[in-house]
Amino acid sequence: MTLPLHVRDCVVRNRGGRVLVNVPHLDLLPGASLGIRGPSGAGKSTFLYALAGLLEGMDGEVHWGDTDLLTMSSARRASFRAANIGMIFQDFLLFEELDAAANASLAAMYLPKARRTGVKTRAMAQLAHLGLDASARSVASYSGGERQRVAIARALANEATILLADEPTASLDRAAADALIEDLVNRVRDHGTTLIAVSHDARLLDRMDRVLGLEDGQVAAGALP
Amino acid sequence: MMDLWDSLSALMQDIVLTVALLLPALILWRLVLRGFAPRPLIGALLWRFRWANALFVLLIAVSVGMGLGLLAQERGLREGTARAADKFDLVVTAPGSEITMMLATVYLQPSDVPLLDGATYQAIAAHKNVSIAAPLAFGDSFGASSVVGTTAEFVQHLSDGKIEGRLWESTAEAVIGARTPLQIGDAFEPAHGVGDAAEHDAHDADLTVVGRIGYTGTPWDRAVLVPIETIWEVHGLASGHAPGRSDQIGPPFDPDYFPGTPAIVVRADAMWANYALRSEFTRDAQTMAFFPGAVLSNLHRLMGDIRQAMSLMSLVTQCLVAASVLLGLFILSRLFMRQMALLRALGAPARFVFAVLWSYCTTLLVAGSVLGLGLGWITAMVLSRIISARTDILISARLSWTEFHYLAGFVSLMTLLSLLPALAVLRKPIVDGLRG
Amino acid sequence: MMRRRAFLGGFAVLPLVSMPLSAMEAPVKLRDLYNKDQTFSDLALSLEGQRITVDGFMAPPLKAEANFFVLTKRPMATCPFCESSADWPDDILAIYTKRTVKEIPFNVRIVTQGVLELGEMTDPDTGFVSRVRLVDAKYS
Repeated sequence: MTLPLHVRDCVVRNRGGRVLVNVPHLDLLPGASLGIRGPSGAGKSTFLYALAGLLEGMDGEVHWGDTDLLTMSSARRASFRAANIGMIFQDFLLFEELDAAANASLAAMYLPKARRTGVKTRAMAQLAHLGLDASARSVASYSGGERQRVAIARALANEATILLADEPTASLDRAAADALIEDLVNRVRDHGTTLIAVSHDARLLDRMDRVLGLEDGQVAAGALP
Repeated sequence: MMDLWDSLSALMQDIVLTVALLLPALILWRLVLRGFAPRPLIGALLWRFRWANALFVLLIAVSVGMGLGLLAQERGLREGTARAADKFDLVVTAPGSEITMMLATVYLQPSDVPLLDGATYQAIAAHKNVSIAAPLAFGDSFGASSVVGTTAEFVQHLSDGKIEGRLWESTAEAVIGARTPLQIGDAFEPAHGVGDAAEHDAHDADLTVVGRIGYTGTPWDRAVLVPIETIWEVHGLASGHAPGRSDQIGPPFDPDYFPGTPAIVVRADAMWANYALRSEFTRDAQTMAFFPGAVLSNLHRLMGDIRQAMSLMSLVTQCLVAASVLLGLFILSRLFMRQMALLRALGAPARFVFAVLWSYCTTLLVAGSVLGLGLGWITAMVLSRIISARTDILISARLSWTEFHYLAGFVSLMTLLSLLPALAVLRKPIVDGLRG
Repeated sequence: MMRRRAFLGGFAVLPLVSMPLSAMEAPVKLRDLYNKDQTFSDLALSLEGQRITVDGFMAPPLKAEANFFVLTKRPMATCPFCESSADWPDDILAIYTKRTVKEIPFNVRIVTQGVLELGEMTDPDTGFVSRVRLVDAKYS
């Protein structure tokens, strides 16, 4: 069920009308990994959000398989994300008061009853797979690396086939970052998950199938191999 | 449908009304939370801002508690003053102010009043519809206690027969109220007049306490009751009986030797007879007959306007407090804007985020209201104790259904208003929230 | 207090629309409950135990905060020239209310609804005796 990505003439403007991101053409096969690099403020995160269907008022087309995100209502985009996309952020965005298991199975709170058990089971399995014990202590006591793993478990608990990561290693020390890169890459290789990661981290970018460079919102010349 | 409603008992009606008032909140709750299980998340939010939340809950509780306490207290006061007048169905006095006479007879507030003569007493006592006609003679005191002259029959009526010791058998004996600072067997000398100016040596009489009546929850609990003949005697008046029978205590009195009484308490068993007697003994320039209950009722009706103003004020205050709390929550909600944006980025429906925020607000409101109920109960209890101690009128202010209706309406209204801050959070674009 | 009354009022209005005709019958006249010889009339006997409507005036209450009042045919005026007790007691009716009575001035006409009870009854709380009364009543 992994979906290919087709992007055509994707233009994101800010409220003043200035172009933030302009990606004329991008195709990605199911199970491929793509790194997005560029200087700060180049529009990398914005492009990632655009691919997740989090932005309003964009021009162009963003297709995941047969689904054209830009023609859908925000409610349907949300349910598309719930079914297909997992997201990881630089500063984890966990609920500090909840334990690892509750954070990882957050989706169980809003998915229909029939799917809740599945989400919880997968969340526990992911945590175990990533080497975290699902003890009852709150995630506030976890290290950065452990937190990012909880976030990955959360992203994958809904059987996401698309993983969108925004600077996943930027808040981690080198060792933790390397371990995390290893986890992400293994995931792509073993499950055919599509991975798109915005990053400055050369080690992460090196492990991607392709790298897209963005500068001032434009695709940098010759960046796509 | 109306017939069905009327056939319900008052309790059933109250329960139905409470449920009906709570219904909007309950329906809202079902609708907003349908299909979601956000409890851990709400718990997390409550815990994260626990101090602010505790303060909000306390604010709501204090405002709700004061409102409910006042309502309960006001009703308790009305019921207490009414209960104190229970034994005084119809009072006959010389024409004057009904309120003054009611205060003097029912609540033993001293005042100088003209006397009714023996013929008048005779006419009342001999009336076919009258079962008790008791003269009340006040004006003397012992310390803070009024010394009231009356008949043994009235003491029985007042105490419902609950008397410790015995009733008097001579003019040298007295019966005291439950809280009069004397003991059975004590001897005392009544003073002429009342208060600081009372003449302590005016009466050359030593009285002995022979009985104590049970607690009535009225100012009569501090009174000293003596045969009316004793009052006449210490004032140097006739004994109420013909010379040959001057040792007699209590009725029948001889109109020719009857020195006068400020008031007569009348009891008639047939309900309609009270009205007949009232019009019969309301005679120009001679007597005035009135129901203390009607006088009180009039006063209560006047107080009713104040009560309505009071309850409106407390309701407005409560709503203002709740509104400021909602505003506070709205400001607080900016602190977890990122988490809410995250939920939506993960694919949670907007309604879920909305449900979390609404439940969070509602939890605080309901917690505050429930705590307020407890505070209201305590407030009413403390106020009742203070007023009871000061007036000797037993006030037992309890929370009644009125308060529950009030609270249920308040909760429903506020849960509706809580929709606003929850909606406001949704209006912010997800990405703005994610970036903090 | 105000809120509740207003609410009760609103509550009462709704079902009025669908009220069956029987409940809207003309009010029973106080005097029709008695025969000339002070016995209960056939009308009174036929209505015993039923919820009936009677209109009249609320006499000044005997007790404050009580659950009963006396309904009179004419306002119980305090006019010294026309006061007469000749009509007692068949012009009055004891009303035992569902809730604590809120006094209505004696000169305002009220409509009372309650279940008709015949026969002598002594109120256990006040000791008052009445021959005929409406119980579980409401008034407006």
